[in-house]
Amino acid sequence: MRLLLIIPTVFILVTTVFVLMRATGDPITAALGGRLTPDQLAERIHEAGYDRPLVVQYWEYLTGIFRGDFGTTLSDNRPVTEILTQYGAATLELTVYAVVVALVVGIPLGMLAASFRDRWPDAVLRVLAILAYATPVFFAGLLLKLVFSVGLGWFPVAGRVSTSGEIEMAKADAGSGFMLVDAIATGDPEVVGDVLRHAALPAIALGLLTAGVFLRLVRTNMIGTLGTEYVDAARSRGVRESRLVRAHAWRPALIPIITVVGMQVAMLLVGAVLTETTFEWRGLGFQLSEYLQARDFVAVQGIVVLMAVVVAVTNFLVDVIAALVDPRVRY
Amino acid sequence: MSSIRVSGRRLTAAAAGMTAITLALTACGGGGSDDEAGANEGGGEAITVGTTDKITSLDPAGSYDNGSFAVMNQVYPFLMNTPYGSPDVQPDIAESAEFTSPTEYTVKLKPGLKWANGHDLTSSDVKFTFDRQLAIADENGPSSLLYNLESTEAVDDTTVVFHLKSENDQVFPQILSSPAGPIVDEEVFAADALTPDQEIVDGEAFAGQYVITSYEVNSLITYEAYDGYQGVLGAAKTPEVNVRYFADSSNLKLEVQEGGVDVAFRSLSATDVEDLRGDDGVKVVEGPGGEIRYITFNFDTQPYGAAQPDADADKALAVRQAVAHLLDRDAIAEQVYKGTYTPLYSFVPAGLTGATEPLKEMYGDGQGAPDAAKAKEVLEAAGVTTPVELSLQYSNDHYGPSSGDEYALIKDQLEADGLFTVNLQTTEWVQYSKDRTSDVYPAYQLGWFPDYSDADNYLTPFFLKENFLGNHYDNAEVNDLILQQAVTADAAERAALIGQIQEAVAADLSTVPYLQGAQVAVVASDIEGAEDTLDASFKFRYGALSRG
Amino acid sequence: MAQLDSGLGPVGTAGAAPVHARGRGGWLRRLPVVHQLRQSVGLQRGPLVAGLVLTGLFVLVAVLAPVLAPYDHSQLRTPEGAFGAQQPPSAEHWLGTTVGGYDVLSRVIWGAQTALYVVVVAILASIVIGVVLGLVSGYFGGWLDRVLVVVADAIYAFPSLLLAILAAIVISGGQASMWGGIMATALSITVVFVPQYFRVVRSEVVRVKGEAFVDAARVLGSGHVRIMTRHVLRNSVRTLPLIVTLNASEAILTLAGLGFLGFGIEPTAAAEWGYDLQRSIADVTSGIWWTALFPGLAIVVVALGMTLVGESLNDLADPRLRTRTASADVAGDVAQTSVQASVETSVEAELKAAGPTAGPAGPEQKEDRA
Repeated sequence: MRLLLIIPTVFILVTTVFVLMRATGDPITAALGGRLTPDQLAERIHEAGYDRPLVVQYWEYLTGIFRGDFGTTLSDNRPVTEILTQYGAATLELTVYAVVVALVVGIPLGMLAASFRDRWPDAVLRVLAILAYATPVFFAGLLLKLVFSVGLGWFPVAGRVSTSGEIEMAKADAGSGFMLVDAIATGDPEVVGDVLRHAALPAIALGLLTAGVFLRLVRTNMIGTLGTEYVDAARSRGVRESRLVRAHAWRPALIPIITVVGMQVAMLLVGAVLTETTFEWRGLGFQLSEYLQARDFVAVQGIVVLMAVVVAVTNFLVDVIAALVDPRVRY
Repeated sequence: MSSIRVSGRRLTAAAAGMTAITLALTACGGGGSDDEAGANEGGGEAITVGTTDKITSLDPAGSYDNGSFAVMNQVYPFLMNTPYGSPDVQPDIAESAEFTSPTEYTVKLKPGLKWANGHDLTSSDVKFTFDRQLAIADENGPSSLLYNLESTEAVDDTTVVFHLKSENDQVFPQILSSPAGPIVDEEVFAADALTPDQEIVDGEAFAGQYVITSYEVNSLITYEAYDGYQGVLGAAKTPEVNVRYFADSSNLKLEVQEGGVDVAFRSLSATDVEDLRGDDGVKVVEGPGGEIRYITFNFDTQPYGAAQPDADADKALAVRQAVAHLLDRDAIAEQVYKGTYTPLYSFVPAGLTGATEPLKEMYGDGQGAPDAAKAKEVLEAAGVTTPVELSLQYSNDHYGPSSGDEYALIKDQLEADGLFTVNLQTTEWVQYSKDRTSDVYPAYQLGWFPDYSDADNYLTPFFLKENFLGNHYDNAEVNDLILQQAVTADAAERAALIGQIQEAVAADLSTVPYLQGAQVAVVASDIEGAEDTLDASFKFRYGALSRG
Repeated sequence: MAQLDSGLGPVGTAGAAPVHARGRGGWLRRLPVVHQLRQSVGLQRGPLVAGLVLTGLFVLVAVLAPVLAPYDHSQLRTPEGAFGAQQPPSAEHWLGTTVGGYDVLSRVIWGAQTALYVVVVAILASIVIGVVLGLVSGYFGGWLDRVLVVVADAIYAFPSLLLAILAAIVISGGQASMWGGIMATALSITVVFVPQYFRVVRSEVVRVKGEAFVDAARVLGSGHVRIMTRHVLRNSVRTLPLIVTLNASEAILTLAGLGFLGFGIEPTAAAEWGYDLQRSIADVTSGIWWTALFPGLAIVVVALGMTLVGESLNDLADPRLRTRTASADVAGDVAQTSVQASVETSVEAELKAAGPTAGPAGPEQKEDRA
């Protein structure tokens, strides 16, 4: 049933995006509105077929998608599928780094907060957690840049790899789209280090956002499990509180984390759009805002549909996992 | 091979331990480009160029934008092209080019030309190129520039005759150097469809100063000099050039500062350029640019315009003149653009043949600065009650993020002496494009990028009776002069006509131009030659660059 | 995707005083936030008070912007001359000037006003549209209900900022004035929020509809509209204040995100923090820190204040978290009471997370999935 819901969900989003994008104007006016007369514009729009009934164009687009043909971008004439794989890889790479940061930071601190419950470390950590997601990712990014790139010079200010690294990768013919993989393919540890240094600040900026959520979540669930009968039983056996946390309470509390990683996908995608813009990380988010400016609705639709599918499928997987973990949850 | 380095000024602020690390990294980073050069086997001379341009297509029929044309200028041959330092065209791979009858433009190719892949470059390729442009007529392509081309005829292997629709078209030679002009290899390109970039690269369909040896779209291009090029530009000075495409400017700025790239061209932000001017490690090189910014007045809907209830042509003119008197172009260029734009006092930008500066003498204090007293005078003389209410529109998303600052400053300048009350408005670009030609905006911002480096391109589209501005400007004298210059073969006579047109329009003020974009390249201190190619052809040739 | 409904279904003891039970005296104590403030103790009171102070400060600055700001938000010069661009902090410009030559301090202060307007408009519009749709959908049911639920789920699942951007492009078509820009931005944010309110209200309606007093009213011959407004609505909207607090901070962040990506309000029409931040990106690489730092801090402070309030209210509504001794007893209905909408997905996250430890899903949840 849930699986079937993906289809209408995606369908609705495709339709919404199509209508919204087409309501915002055509790419020809966007590109040439400053240099052609209205007649010339109208002629070009007619030649490109954008003046046909919207329903006809919509039908064309839909049938194209069903054939696996997402079309060719209007502003730079590339197959949308190519855009999706190339830039999708960049976004995926950033997202993976961010999740790693979020897990490494969020889970231990959440456990710490739970074990110091209602004492000052707990209060401090919780405020920090809230601060982490009350800070817009682009401001966090700018701050990190100011301090660690411009001020201290520890990390590069933007981009995914330095020019020399890029040239080495081109020579090694590494073109997977995943910078780290390509860097390893060059066999040059300096290039690998370079790629990782470029990734550090964007990953931290995006990861901290999610880390705050994880921290709170782990804390809440820890406290919940600390109150369950099975931990109570341990407590009554005289197990110390700190050991309770380490040995008994953490495992049930971690189960939801697995599902939450999935649930964070939508948020990470939004965060990625802003992070990529801040750090000139050329991924789907960065391209999306470029294509939006160019009113390249074919490209925008392609990217948005991909994001919608990713979110919908992850949500579905999360439900499945939740059901597997806990047989009481049935769908 | 690190890109990490702290600029000298900030080193002092860093802790001592940090300094040591930084220096180590700097040494590493600085060494990067040297290792690089060695590894390239290019005689230790490879130059790395960084840019934020974007490439739409390598196929000349499929793109009509700066980023793609920048690549084409390096790798494709042209029949006509501009030598370094000049906006005027000469035969490039041709021996001669001339009108053999009013509608026949005959070009003779140099004998024995070859493509980099070994194919012969003949008149058949030329005919193929232009037939193909017209046949494909891609919506992103430049085929519209060939509006005057009836047909192309290959008479023999080295002779091509262009049959034109209108007579003695003096612009046509310029068109041959425009984005519609790159000659392509008929054995690699498809006749009726766009050819994918990778096929072009694999087919080595190049015959310009350079060939592309490796190509990753919008990421990295490697060029190698082509020794078969025999055109007007001469052989490339540097055998190997890498061009890296940056997503945005801040990373480009840092890399040029650190030596990761040797040349940064298009586009660093004004703040970046300003900052780099103070950096001893790099040189900021400037040349005239083809981009202009101007305020367009709608002659129907502006204050006292023809369709207004209080229509009065004299008062309307006085309002336009007052605006021209009040604009402080220097302040806009300096405060908003930090010198990356320069004041513009004509409709034809400085650097092009025939450009004059009529607005400098006619308006303001005569030296280019504003003059509020004159503005007041002209308004009073026409009987205009002040302050004049003026609705001014600008686009916040089409001409860069600084447009907002630009127009805030213009509003401020117009209002400073109480002569105007400006109602500043902005609209999203697509709607803006529709509104501006539908008489919605009394006065509005526009910018222009030239198709080719000829004054005609700044006059014909704007000031003929039928123009793309759609602002109801109609001056029969100007109309006739523009048509006349387009068919005047004598260069001096034509330049005089162009000067006359500029003066006439300056008196009418259909538009008030105020800024001209400068071409800015930031180069490492050991790079030479950038100043040679930053000319009014607006073509940046990597072949001019060398490591000194 | 329906967890939010069930989460807000049966409400714990916290914000739960039903609307019927109004006493004469002490109404002040029953106001949503005041009630919880009194209820809170110790460490939990700290964040709540801090949040209230920050939020109050924000509203105060916003209202008093014309008095507090040294210059107008689009002012470039005084009679003595132009400010100049990117001037470092000085006696005339305490926080320096921006790349456009504006006074940073004034832009930050006026930005509070813009933010307040947008948040208020966005939330009011979301509530009105969401409540009406939720009422109609939940009360009448049928195919309309099913369609609306699927659409709301689809929109809710979608990254909110992207949706707001698309909406902003469409809505902003003719934006010109300050209010034009504010309305456009606020409505773009509304598009994102409506599904949340819709779902909350709808599930409440579905629950309340089946109760005896509604049936009684129907038997007595009351019309649909009357039943909806008099009986169902009153009982359905009691949980809204909680979501409003939580959504306010999200609205601030979305507004800033839109501005940052260039789809927000125009700089000369009104000051907007996200826009100023976007313009400061290039400054940062040149070591100009004051143009980025202060608008960013303003966003953080406001979002932090509102989130603190929202989270504290939420914690107070969660018996598991309220007091240590209580937690063991009530673990069973934890999932029903914990709401955390400040970060949109964390609502789901928390509820989801509570799922396995806390028992089967509520009835509404199942209904939605059917």
